[in-house]
Amino acid sequence: MSDAYDVLLATLPAQARDRDERAAPWEVNAEATNECLSRRGALAHLERRNAEDALGETVYADAPVEARPVLATAHELLARGAITEDELARRMDEVRTRFNAG
Amino acid sequence: MSHDHDHDAITEGEQISEFDVLETAVRELAIEKGLFSADDHRRFLEWAQSIGPTGGSKLVAKAWVDPDFKARLLENGVEACKEVGIDWRDPTGTGTPSDYTYFYVLENTPQIHNVIVCTLCSCYPRPVLGMSPEWYRTPNYRRRLVRWPREVLAEFGLAFPDDVEIRVHDSNQKSRFMVMPMRPEGTEDWSEEQLAAIVTRDTMIGVALPDPQWTAAHAPA
Repeated sequence: MSDAYDVLLATLPAQARDRDERAAPWEVNAEATNECLSRRGALAHLERRNAEDALGETVYADAPVEARPVLATAHELLARGAITEDELARRMDEVRTRFNAG
Repeated sequence: MSHDHDHDAITEGEQISEFDVLETAVRELAIEKGLFSADDHRRFLEWAQSIGPTGGSKLVAKAWVDPDFKARLLENGVEACKEVGIDWRDPTGTGTPSDYTYFYVLENTPQIHNVIVCTLCSCYPRPVLGMSPEWYRTPNYRRRLVRWPREVLAEFGLAFPDDVEIRVHDSNQKSRFMVMPMRPEGTEDWSEEQLAAIVTRDTMIGVALPDPQWTAAHAPA
């Protein structure tokens, strides 16, 4: 097999950037969660969407655009008392441990 | 099934982000509290990823043969979609997901050619076109189309005379667009079904024109 060509190796960083432009699995999952919440009456799309606009321009303005839906959903579920901050923090710790163990 | 082929473990690019963690935690808590079920979530993903551009093709073909429907479609895209069974606001129908608020159908004319993009991310009219193509989500397309539309369209093989105005429409989370291409000559006596077959995905994005000799089912030769 011949050696790698520099002109091809030089494309690798750009390729990685392109891959990052695609929706991550968690973004797709978050959209489905939002759909389910709206469909089952827990958090209507337009209410969540309006919250996303308001929160994304203020308290979570530093977050990447693609993260705003999941942040807004979590924020609204907390604000409505559907989940508590303590249980969310605990669950995030559990999930982090589980994912990093696998 | 055995798993005996050799490969390296997937590591690079597989870092767990805090958004992975947050998304999973929120979803699990919501399921545990009965806000929806795990099956609801799985079924939605399976369905959302299975829809294609058939709905959009039907809309355009119907508009081509029914001027009254065309007028309704151009006037109020969300409402007119219901006539072909697509309800943008009801995820339990055959429309999708989401919080879409406006759906605009853009009519091409001999003087105006429309094309859609999402400069910010990858917003796309999924209830009528399905999942977006890979290239639609690339920085190359998103960044350059708004600045050099004629050049980018030429890269797809489309060239327009200078007297044809190119209009680029930037999608966002609330507003989605779809192009209604012009009906090609030579299709005057075609059925709606025949017409729908030549209204391919790319013609409704605006990077191609319908060709009576071509459907998306053709294998490129």
